Amino acid sequence: MMHMSSMSDNSSSVYYEKVVESYLKAIWLIDDRVTPFLGKATTRVLVQGAARRVSNQYPFLHFLVKMPYTEVVPAVIKEQWSSITPQELTQGLHALLQECFAGLKELTGDLIGPPLFDEVRRQLEQTP
Amino acid sequence: MEGSVQSQSNATESAYRSFIGQNGDGDHLTALRHQMDQLNTIGKRFVAAIDRFQLHRALLATLQELYSFSACSILLKGNPFELSIIPRYPLTGPFIQAMIQSIARAGSVIGFPDVTPEELAVVADLDAPDDLAPSFINTPSTATEIGDFLNIPLTVESRIIGMLSLFDEHEGTFDTELLQLTTMIADYAAVALENVRLHEREIALWQDAEQERQRLELIISSMAEGLLITNAQGAISSLNSSAQHLFAQAEVDLKRETPTSLRKLATSTNVNWLSDLADIVDQALAGNIVMHRELIAGFAGDSVPLTLSISAAPLHDASKNIMRPIGVVAVLNDTTSSKQIEKLKDEFVSVVSHELRTPLTAIKGYTQHLIRRIERRLREARQRQQNTGSLAEHPESYDLRSLNIVQSETEHLERLVSDLLDLSRVQWGELDLQYTSFYLTDVLAERVRLAQVSAEQHTIFLDIQAQDSRIVADQLRVGQVVGNILDNAIKFSPPGRQVTVKLQEQDNEYFISIIDQGIGINPEYLDRIFERFYRVRNTASRQYAGIGMGLFVAKAIVEAHGGSIGFSSNPGTGSKFYFTLPRVPHTSVLQL
Repeated sequence: MMHMSSMSDNSSSVYYEKVVESYLKAIWLIDDRVTPFLGKATTRVLVQGAARRVSNQYPFLHFLVKMPYTEVVPAVIKEQWSSITPQELTQGLHALLQECFAGLKELTGDLIGPPLFDEVRRQLEQTP
Repeated sequence: MEGSVQSQSNATESAYRSFIGQNGDGDHLTALRHQMDQLNTIGKRFVAAIDRFQLHRALLATLQELYSFSACSILLKGNPFELSIIPRYPLTGPFIQAMIQSIARAGSVIGFPDVTPEELAVVADLDAPDDLAPSFINTPSTATEIGDFLNIPLTVESRIIGMLSLFDEHEGTFDTELLQLTTMIADYAAVALENVRLHEREIALWQDAEQERQRLELIISSMAEGLLITNAQGAISSLNSSAQHLFAQAEVDLKRETPTSLRKLATSTNVNWLSDLADIVDQALAGNIVMHRELIAGFAGDSVPLTLSISAAPLHDASKNIMRPIGVVAVLNDTTSSKQIEKLKDEFVSVVSHELRTPLTAIKGYTQHLIRRIERRLREARQRQQNTGSLAEHPESYDLRSLNIVQSETEHLERLVSDLLDLSRVQWGELDLQYTSFYLTDVLAERVRLAQVSAEQHTIFLDIQAQDSRIVADQLRVGQVVGNILDNAIKFSPPGRQVTVKLQEQDNEYFISIIDQGIGINPEYLDRIFERFYRVRNTASRQYAGIGMGLFVAKAIVEAHGGSIGFSSNPGTGSKFYFTLPRVPHTSVLQL
């Protein structure tokens, strides 16, 4: 299992939206890199599969099992997750991303996962 | 069907460049042509595959050309999942087991959460090609672990339908360029697999439809009833063997032309019942359902001619919203044997009735004789009493009353016997009427008198509202009609109630009605009340005896006179039966 540091906690009112947005961007990045190798629909099912596996621990992510991440609007999600603590949100999204990479490893071994992991980590770290 | 091959052409281009090499423009064109040829070959292989085995061969051949590997597999989504393992050479059990576990894990990643290694092991189909590489057979693989693998989703129109997996016993076999190439091949395979699935489904549906067609054909050909189907023009398009047999029995040749127009056939063969059959078909084509229409298809000389009962219904096209039927389905039942039984039964009833009539005539005659004797003796006795001033009732007056009842009941019995005799006459159209001129009031009065004798607890009124009552008709038959209806009126009226027999005249006919205050008739029985042997079966009528003949015969007699019969009824309050008789019979009736 690869590890990346999760985003630092922040309790400002725009925090939820920013966190969701940055993780969505990370997923979009994965999508960009995976599509040439495994086709368009793969990242969508990777995220759905990852959401299914983490939804026991983070039930608020269960909606991603049915809804493609491409249809997620951060502003709407923020309202639905108002009862989730900032820590839970960050940990949940982090776990989701980790599971996506775990899934990618099951598909292609270490062919495309490790370099992409580094790229995603750098992008997340650059997020203010 | 469109895979994601075209949409990813840019992505795969780089893989080809590195796969084939890029040296100058001329070389580039040569390389491009080579690529096109390769793509063309791959495409043709997959397009040509019409079943899974051919597809597996195409996949194996294509992948083998590109690189070396131990086995590939195809997992297809479904219930249950389908897994085909295609080895390039004989593999060990543990290696295959490791493959299945890798496939199950990757399956759960791409949205097949329910798939387990155990389930896959059960459904796995090892499709080992016959032409396994001979060199490998000589030195079989002993690998038990997977060195390298690729699990690539099979996608059709952004829908994941399965997964293509490649396994090798050596590490580092696959790289990103091979991954891209394999993804491109997987796209071809996905489209081809979907086509194969559609083809298989089409074949399965066709087989189901064919099986159903054969089953229906068997049912139709085994039917004892004749089945005839026409097209929208009323021409016979098909008929089963029973129907053919019936037509042959009626000596109708149907082999002249196909489809056979019933109307034309009726004209050309001069067979009357075919014209009636064509009428029935026309009615059904007009959207009506025809039930149990009887046609005499035999010959007049036969004692019981071939009789068909025909039901027909319009056929509508299930797939199109067209109001006009596309044809007619008609069921032909041969009812000749039941007609024969009916004929035998009628003959039996006729013989028995004749036999009953002889003693009845004697009983009636001797009863009348006794009544006249007692009446004479009573007159003499009453004269003597007047002379002596005695008021005591003579004992013989009780005997007279009893004899009157005997006579009335004998009349009733005689009517029943007459009805039974008439049954066969009506049935076979042999009801003869003896026309004479008489006064209806006389017949009605006589019937009321006779009915009153045996119905002491009822009051029977005769209400004459006609200036004249002279009529030319069969006097006995008219009396029989009144008697039958009056019997019912009394039978179904509780004691103490009254029955009215009313005569009215209107235009050129008489209107006779018999109104009672009885139990009435439920509306559900209204349509069947004039059928022979029909008796209303409900709680109220269960206690009343009868054979259900009276109204059937009455209707036949009235209609034979050119009149009509009907009734109205309110359950619980009574019924009114009425019939009309022309003052003089219509010419057409006399000719009959």
